[in-house]
Amino acid sequence: MNWWLDFSSNAFIVAFYLYCASFISYAIAVAGKRWSNREPEAHTARWGKIGFAGAVLGWLAHLTFFFTRWYGGGHIPTSNMYEFMTFLGMAIMFAFIVVHLIYRNMLLGAFALPLVIILIAYASVFPSEVQPLIPALNNYWLKIHVTTAATGEAFFAVGFAAALMQLIRVVDFTRTDKAGKRAQFWTEFSLVVIIVLIGFLAAVFTFRGAGYESSFRQEKVTIDDNGIENSEVKEVKYSLPPIVAPYNSDTISFQPFLGIDKPLFESPSWLNGVNAGRKLNTIIWSVISGFILYGLLRLIARKPLAAVIHPHLTDIDPEDLEEISYRAIAIGFPIFTLGALIFAMIWAQIAWSRFWGWDPKEVWALVTFLFYSVYLHLRLSRGWQGTRSAWLAVIGFLVVMFTLVGVNLVIAGLHSYAGV
Amino acid sequence: MFQNTKCECGHQNPVGTVLCESCGKPLVENLLTDEGTLEMRYDGVARRSQKANPQVIDRIWNFFSSVKIAVYLIAITLVGASLGTIFQQESTLINMSGYSEFRDFYKEKYGTLGVIYHALGLSRTYESWWFVGLLVMIGTSLVVCSLDRVLPLYRALTKQQIRKHLQFITRQQVVYNGALQGDKDVWLTEFAKQMKRKRYRVWQEDGGLLAEKNRFSRWGPYINHIGLIIFLLAVLGRGIPAWHMDQYLSLYEGETRQIPDTNYYVKNDKFTVEYYKDDELASNQKGTKVVKLYETKARLYECTDFCDDPIRKPVLTEVEKHDIHVNSALSYKGMSLYQNSFQERVRFISVHPSLMDATTGKALGSFDLLMDDPAESYEVGPYTLTLNDYYPDFSLDDQSRPMTKTREPNNPAFVFRIKGPDIQAKGDVYIYFPMPSEKSKYYEKILNESFKQRGDNTGRFTIKVENPIVDGKMNNIKYSEYTTYLNIRVDKAMPYIWVGAAISMIGLIMGFYWQHRRIWLRIDEDKLSLGAHTNKNSFGLRADVAWALGRTGIEVPPKSLDNRRNLS
Ligand code: HEM
Repeated sequence: MNWWLDFSSNAFIVAFYLYCASFISYAIAVAGKRWSNREPEAHTARWGKIGFAGAVLGWLAHLTFFFTRWYGGGHIPTSNMYEFMTFLGMAIMFAFIVVHLIYRNMLLGAFALPLVIILIAYASVFPSEVQPLIPALNNYWLKIHVTTAATGEAFFAVGFAAALMQLIRVVDFTRTDKAGKRAQFWTEFSLVVIIVLIGFLAAVFTFRGAGYESSFRQEKVTIDDNGIENSEVKEVKYSLPPIVAPYNSDTISFQPFLGIDKPLFESPSWLNGVNAGRKLNTIIWSVISGFILYGLLRLIARKPLAAVIHPHLTDIDPEDLEEISYRAIAIGFPIFTLGALIFAMIWAQIAWSRFWGWDPKEVWALVTFLFYSVYLHLRLSRGWQGTRSAWLAVIGFLVVMFTLVGVNLVIAGLHSYAGV
Repeated sequence: MFQNTKCECGHQNPVGTVLCESCGKPLVENLLTDEGTLEMRYDGVARRSQKANPQVIDRIWNFFSSVKIAVYLIAITLVGASLGTIFQQESTLINMSGYSEFRDFYKEKYGTLGVIYHALGLSRTYESWWFVGLLVMIGTSLVVCSLDRVLPLYRALTKQQIRKHLQFITRQQVVYNGALQGDKDVWLTEFAKQMKRKRYRVWQEDGGLLAEKNRFSRWGPYINHIGLIIFLLAVLGRGIPAWHMDQYLSLYEGETRQIPDTNYYVKNDKFTVEYYKDDELASNQKGTKVVKLYETKARLYECTDFCDDPIRKPVLTEVEKHDIHVNSALSYKGMSLYQNSFQERVRFISVHPSLMDATTGKALGSFDLLMDDPAESYEVGPYTLTLNDYYPDFSLDDQSRPMTKTREPNNPAFVFRIKGPDIQAKGDVYIYFPMPSEKSKYYEKILNESFKQRGDNTGRFTIKVENPIVDGKMNNIKYSEYTTYLNIRVDKAMPYIWVGAAISMIGLIMGFYWQHRRIWLRIDEDKLSLGAHTNKNSFGLRADVAWALGRTGIEVPPKSLDNRRNLS
């Protein structure tokens, strides 16, 4: 590893801690308003400013990481999952800073920063070493396409954070009618999903820290495009204790965990994708550890988590949140269109001889685009502003994340770079 | 529904008008009694789709002009497109064809779900009639919808009355009401000045004022839609056969082939591939082969004579030369040749063997022997060699008769009849295996022995390559290491695609990064009423109004101007 890359990783760690510090400041800004002998407004403004300063410094460190890695690695660091996810985190910070400067809402950071922290922690799950470019990726349109698309998506992410805030702000825990219960359930559910993601990260980093490993020998029968069957034996390594073994496999080594010394069951044959068994295992672990985490939080709080956050948001107008959410998406939409569709088409035309090929990743970029145009059109009609539109902003970001991560993990296509 | 379309200000409005085109007074009964903010889309003017007695054409028009329908269409397209990504599409299986072959593939690979997927036609989602139909419907909707609204909106915006109805003003999203001290005209002039400093255009008319900014951004969505229409038409245009060509061609090194259905020929002069060195790779890649670059040195020829002549060779003229690699295609007159992939496959091209005297070991002469399409006869020194038989992929059948397994020169064998001075009249027959492998040399030996026993030859000659290796390199033997796959494309719709995309992008930028803002103001006695409207970013509009009011002695927090909030 060369000196620049070392420096770059250190800058990344600095950025990570600064983001965490910024998040804590924002949390204090939101939660500490009612602490005794304080002027609530002055308190929020003060800690909000500290939080924002931390965010900007963190972002500068993040930029340092990015450019030194670019210099040290010889090509722009956006060509594998680790690099792309860290870049997306950086872009979200950029979008957050822009939106913050427009609206100066001190609390947006309390929702945007955890998103970025989770994202770059997720990035660190993937191998972080610089890999050389394969020929198709070696083109300057790649840089332009990936960076603009990610910037557009980053604004959608900020729109998502504001929409989630809005939903928690307006959810009414005193209601007992059906619609009220439904709103409570789904708001809480969104938080559970986020906690499952944290559970995933906790599981991966805990077992990785403990050096856990088991491995299997899997025989895989593939049918190639000529319809000919090929059988191939390969080794699948697990870094989480295998609850699910790969389909059609034998154990090579199994490090026992909590008395479990063999996999509980085998992954079904119809799960395709590369390393489907291991991915299913990871999902099971994420859900288990996410629910444990959620259970603990519920035990401490003794009420739904949304009900814990809700009272701290009452000073903000939901209309302001809605405006922020919509505006972030409105800023992001043209950038996304340009980056994820138009630049993507230009690059595809140059590299693959066709501007559009219905590759799963392309289709999902289109689906994202169509989804947000539905959002924009629906907002033109009455009755689709407010909570409904906030839900659309939340779901829209799920579509974005599926396009970025889900497609690579579940469906393999031309774009599937290194998947874990 | 009966509706009085004549407004109290005297203006006669078309049926369907919501807000008087002239003074802005709400015309619809329930809007008058209702308290909320006014629906300001298209300024409340009537659209074509709101005709009183719809006929069939009108009904179709109305259907496609509805944004609700458009949302449904877009949503269905979205779901349909995502269904197509569940399993591999048929179009990605370039080596298969025919219904049953595909059906079997889906059954083998995905089981029952695959069978259902294929039977439903989802394995060809993007070419299916319903998917294309949805695109066509979205296109229609775009045209109708835009026409339906853009003209009325244009009319409404070009003939705005300055002094608006009080109801119109006080029911905007941004409102200020208050008493005005001092001289009205002085204040009004000052306010107008402040608005101009914010780059508003300002009009005044008997105690009323209109300040407007960025009207052009209202055309953004329509320009975007026009771009989308052009784009969609171009996509559909790719279905025109003459507009579109998409072929794959495999070429080994040195091979020249015609591009089917054209007058062009491509030649692969040389193919090179470079791999990353181990120290350039990440640790989990070490020891694997990661391609750095692969490239076909290609020439494009145009046929100028004897093109369709089955007997004579076509006359080719070179028109273009390019090193084709991924991200760099050869382009000539709208046709592009792309590097698709390659295969590592050694393939014999030619040898340059010599005819030797078996006893003295002296060379009598040499000749060029091509594996593809070898000549009928060769003049070597004083001798003539005629090719009796050629087995590109030599093997013996179950009765030990020579045969060829394939047409590829995997193990070529040539049977020559040699005639010339001092040779028996019927000539001497030899078999020659150019491939330098033990097995072929063994065959060559025993077969020539048996010819000799039958009296077909005298054993006087041998055929072989002299000095096959010089300085560690193959000599007198030519072979290709790689076969390159090129993708040949013509796509005449591309310029329209890019133009459509560019127009669409311009529209998006206009519509999203600028906002149309209007402020109406009227003074009755000493009462000031101000209303303002924007199609997006009312936050910015409130800031503008509060700023201008503040500069003219009326301090208000921007938030207090928000009428929607004040009402709720
Ligand atoms: C894939 C197709 C489409 C895309 C990407 C698209 C995109 C857009 C965008 C970005 C806007 C601006 C929204 C805003 O200002 O918030 C817009 C506005 C609009 N669209 Fe579409 N659109 C599409 C199809 C349609 C169709 C089929 C219709 C037909 C009914 C339609 C009707 C409208 C209308 C009426 C507006 C509002 C114009 C205005 O503000 O004056 N759109 N569209």
